[in-house]
Amino acid sequence: MKFFDFIKKLNLNIKLASLAIFFGVTAFLISDPFDNGSSTISTKDLAVMVQSEVDHVNVEDLADWIIKGKADYRLVDIRPEKEFNEYNLPGSENILITNLLESDLMRNEKIILYSDGGVHSAQAWFLLKAKDYKNVYMLRGGMDEWKDKILFPKLSATATEDEKAKFGIASAISRYFGGTPQIVSGDQTATSVAVQPSTPVAPKIQAPAGSSSGGAKKKKREGC
Amino acid sequence: MNAPFFKFDMFSVDFSLVIAFVIGIGFGFALERGGFGNARILAAQFYFTNMRVLKVMFSAIVTAMLGLFFFVAFGWLDLSLVYYTDTNLIPQVVGGFILGIGFVVGGYCPGTSCVSAATGRIDGVIYLFGVMAGIFVFGEIFPLISDFYYSSNMGRVFLPDYLGLSYGMVVFLVVLMAVGAFAAAEWGERKMAAKKSGGSK
Repeated sequence: MKFFDFIKKLNLNIKLASLAIFFGVTAFLISDPFDNGSSTISTKDLAVMVQSEVDHVNVEDLADWIIKGKADYRLVDIRPEKEFNEYNLPGSENILITNLLESDLMRNEKIILYSDGGVHSAQAWFLLKAKDYKNVYMLRGGMDEWKDKILFPKLSATATEDEKAKFGIASAISRYFGGTPQIVSGDQTATSVAVQPSTPVAPKIQAPAGSSSGGAKKKKREGC
Repeated sequence: MNAPFFKFDMFSVDFSLVIAFVIGIGFGFALERGGFGNARILAAQFYFTNMRVLKVMFSAIVTAMLGLFFFVAFGWLDLSLVYYTDTNLIPQVVGGFILGIGFVVGGYCPGTSCVSAATGRIDGVIYLFGVMAGIFVFGEIFPLISDFYYSSNMGRVFLPDYLGLSYGMVVFLVVLMAVGAFAAAEWGERKMAAKKSGGSK
């Protein structure tokens, strides 16, 4: 109990100074506060997210956002550079999975990932989620589905009126992105692959800014 | 939950103004309670007769620094999303001198002049008018000095990176510096007080 008596006798200044020194020494021992290697994510939360598919963005929605010039997200193409240069979605930027965590993506940004199918983007999604990025989404079906549904929508010869009406809209969207809507006759298997022309050259649209720079991100007002 | 809350869209721009108002009131209250609404106390710092400004400032710096360091270490705060101004070394040194001269001459810095004016001190009110006039003049001549204003840009610089030390090391050194400054200030004040009472007798 002598120790406590000793502490009681010290005046407040000494106590506070000692506290500051204690925390200072602790900080010195921790040395680097930023990367402690491990990150705490609730696997349960992740599982729920995967189950409920809130982390998916449909190609139709994305096409709609691009046409409307919505710019509150970063569209990230994680395919190899060569494929990116051949064709990429308007407003996207190319970041390889290996560079993902060192890139300038911010934890508070809405990030939409896409790859050819869905596997790579799902893996990248986990990587970012593990590092506590808040709003990460992946494009459902990836580039394959984008080509299927947006660039080269198909209408079977036996379509109903309702389907034809929908196809009208899809065709307009397709042309907007430089694609070609197709009407498929009887035997689908041959046409769907064969008729599909080579991927279009970068479509001529102005929204939302540069194709690879991703400069169209909306920044929050800040200053002091 | 992860800070900074605003950057993670926990509240709107409108509500952020309400929060800024509340924090501002708290800041002003702390300044006033610290005695910073009184030009005599503030000016005394520059003559080393009253070291209160140094003590309050160092207390605030050490508290904020330790808080930030441990919040980041616990993963409560993403420091990369906190806004910092770029370092423009020469313009900022010049600006510091201008602010310092104004501080010695007028007895206030911009923040404390608001506190002083709010508590009804006439010199504080007059100082505040001076601040407004200065802002107006600065705004009018800004096109002429904007080249200088943006010169010697070093980007976002942090002491640990610049000195090549770890963040924890810098935190530790600043704490030591603050505690040393406190001890020296107390010692200096006792000396000054002894000299004063000795001289008046």
